[in-house]
Amino acid sequence: MHVCIKRIEYFFPEKKESNTDLKADNPDWRIDDIVKKTGIVSRRISSNEQTATDLAEESCKKLINSGLNTEDIDFIILVTQSPDYALPTSACILQDRLGVESCIAFDINLGCSGFVYGLAVSSSLISSGLAKQGILVCSDTYTKYIDKHDRTCRPLFSDAAAATHISISEVDSIGPFELGTDGSGYDKLIVPSSGARINSNKSQTNKLFMSGADVFMFTMDMVPKAVNSLLIKSNKKIEDIDLFIFHQASKLVIDSIIRRLDLPEEKVFMNFENIGNTVSATIPIALSDAIQQGRINTGDLIMLVGFGVGYSWGGCLIQWP
Amino acid sequence: MSKINNEVLEIIAKSLEIKKEKVTMDSSTENLEEWDSLGHLSILVSLDRKFNGQLAGIKEMAAASSVKSIFKILEDNSLI
Repeated sequence: MHVCIKRIEYFFPEKKESNTDLKADNPDWRIDDIVKKTGIVSRRISSNEQTATDLAEESCKKLINSGLNTEDIDFIILVTQSPDYALPTSACILQDRLGVESCIAFDINLGCSGFVYGLAVSSSLISSGLAKQGILVCSDTYTKYIDKHDRTCRPLFSDAAAATHISISEVDSIGPFELGTDGSGYDKLIVPSSGARINSNKSQTNKLFMSGADVFMFTMDMVPKAVNSLLIKSNKKIEDIDLFIFHQASKLVIDSIIRRLDLPEEKVFMNFENIGNTVSATIPIALSDAIQQGRINTGDLIMLVGFGVGYSWGGCLIQWP
Repeated sequence: MSKINNEVLEIIAKSLEIKKEKVTMDSSTENLEEWDSLGHLSILVSLDRKFNGQLAGIKEMAAASSVKSIFKILEDNSLI
């Protein structure tokens, strides 16, 4: 059984945060320098009352309003690292709110690699005959974890949800996949006091910590390897790929990937400037924007690569249906 | 100082957008205001470019917070 992406819808919280806002809280920040390296001019920020489940609900409703029948939804997979509760699973709350009859519903706790992992799991559910179609929704509100004076994280991260309708298909259009993990980097991007692990270090907080240099070195090492593995696995060359969509981490990261792989810049999609780094939602949002902008045509071969917190990475090829 | 060592100092200065004279063997994140987390990323990118992509596999470079430690890591990995 084959699998395809039918449609993508995304949703942003209303509040936009500009770099002027950052400067107001942090007069000593060199904003021009920050923008030159991140490429990010503004971000979206969830309100205090608005959670990742709320954003996910809005993006899923857009799919339903565009014609997806709730009776046809066999699974809801929510990729999030900002669940409403430690338990129950946020996907269960989402299933109830969307008015979907009993279906497969669970969360995947992954960040920037999460869309590709979710795509692999969705494809497996359909290929194995457990489901015919469903929603993969990536939603996070990292900004709730970020201290307003954190110069490493605050200029980057943004809140959003992206819902992808995945369905059984006549034509094979998703795969192969390249998925990987290096848990030795678990503490390089972490919210230290956010789970059951009791911490003896009283200075550790429930705020996001990122060692930018470590995460960058991991990315520079692993992403080119993952891209090359995927090319070998699929017997393709860089020239055969019509568009590369990488996790929209920042300008500096994507520029470095382009340089290390010697990719033609026009084949690499970027849309972080006024969206920011929305964690697992960056790839489906970029995919949707690329379609809207006419950058993807039927039959095009697209490579998706997500990477980050974990460390975790995932890449796959999609032949656009 | 050898030519390559001098080039590395120049790369660090250029990455931090400061005059070369400001960067010495004693420079570090402690005494150079411009050497913040973003400045460090610029240094990593520029050095990786200089050494033709050989820097990425050297994890300890992420934590190198002084010119001395950068030189030591480059030497230990036979890059200088």
